[in-house]
Amino acid sequence: MIRQSRKRKGILGALALVTVLFSLYWSLVVAPPDAYQGEVQRIMYLHLPSILIAYLSYFLVFIGSGLYLWKREKRDDLLAHAAAELGVLFTALTIIEGSVWGRPTWGVWWTWDARLTLTAILLLIYVGYLMLRSLIEDENRAAMAAAVLGIIGFLDIPLIHMSVYWWRTLHQPPSILRPDKLPWENVHPSMLTALTISFVAFLLLYFYLLSLRYRVGEMHQEVIARRLERGA
Amino acid sequence: MGPWGFVSLAYGIVWGTLVVYLIFLKRRYSRATVELDQLRPMGEAGGDEKK
Repeated sequence: MIRQSRKRKGILGALALVTVLFSLYWSLVVAPPDAYQGEVQRIMYLHLPSILIAYLSYFLVFIGSGLYLWKREKRDDLLAHAAAELGVLFTALTIIEGSVWGRPTWGVWWTWDARLTLTAILLLIYVGYLMLRSLIEDENRAAMAAAVLGIIGFLDIPLIHMSVYWWRTLHQPPSILRPDKLPWENVHPSMLTALTISFVAFLLLYFYLLSLRYRVGEMHQEVIARRLERGA
Repeated sequence: MGPWGFVSLAYGIVWGTLVVYLIFLKRRYSRATVELDQLRPMGEAGGDEKK
């Protein structure tokens, strides 16, 4: 699925672009303002999809890392590496969106709330993952060390999700992924539609970026192999 | 800054960053294609063409 032809990548890219434009229209024009938060609530149409995509990315790092440690196949490491880079990007965006939303809603850009702090730790773990890869010269050793960190880092995600239940936090409990209510029982249909469209747009864009990033990694490996062949 | 100011700031940062990252990835892809083509033996197809 990740390794696609140029034509398929083009179709996916075009589909992502159309969905992104449609989601912008729905989020900024069609969806009504929130009764309490007003217009600022529209930032949630970015914030929630961003963090869900980041979680998906780290899940792929977890899977890719596990498979690499088990089978030692380069493609699994390439997948983990590509997904980690995108995970860092989407986690950083989540923190920034939350900060911009927090200033008018909570009155602060940042607070050492359990969920916020654990999300910042998640970002640091995977920035560390990328740094580790660039610091170790031996490619196989770098891949092994990164795979171990990629698996351990994933354990932070359940902690982030449960933090709002385990500690008294400023961050509100989930509106969508909650055990006691279904999403449509808790969120107005027009807002849920905006959220769904936005999530689909982020998902399509994510897979487009992932396939491109994976191919770049694959080509980098081919360049190294060709250079070694020429040098031999 | 008013509510729409914060909304514009958030949307601007997110979509601006994603567009910059996409451009950055495309450049890395193009550089890798050129490099790979230079290293390939004569007559072999390059980039994604053969897939």
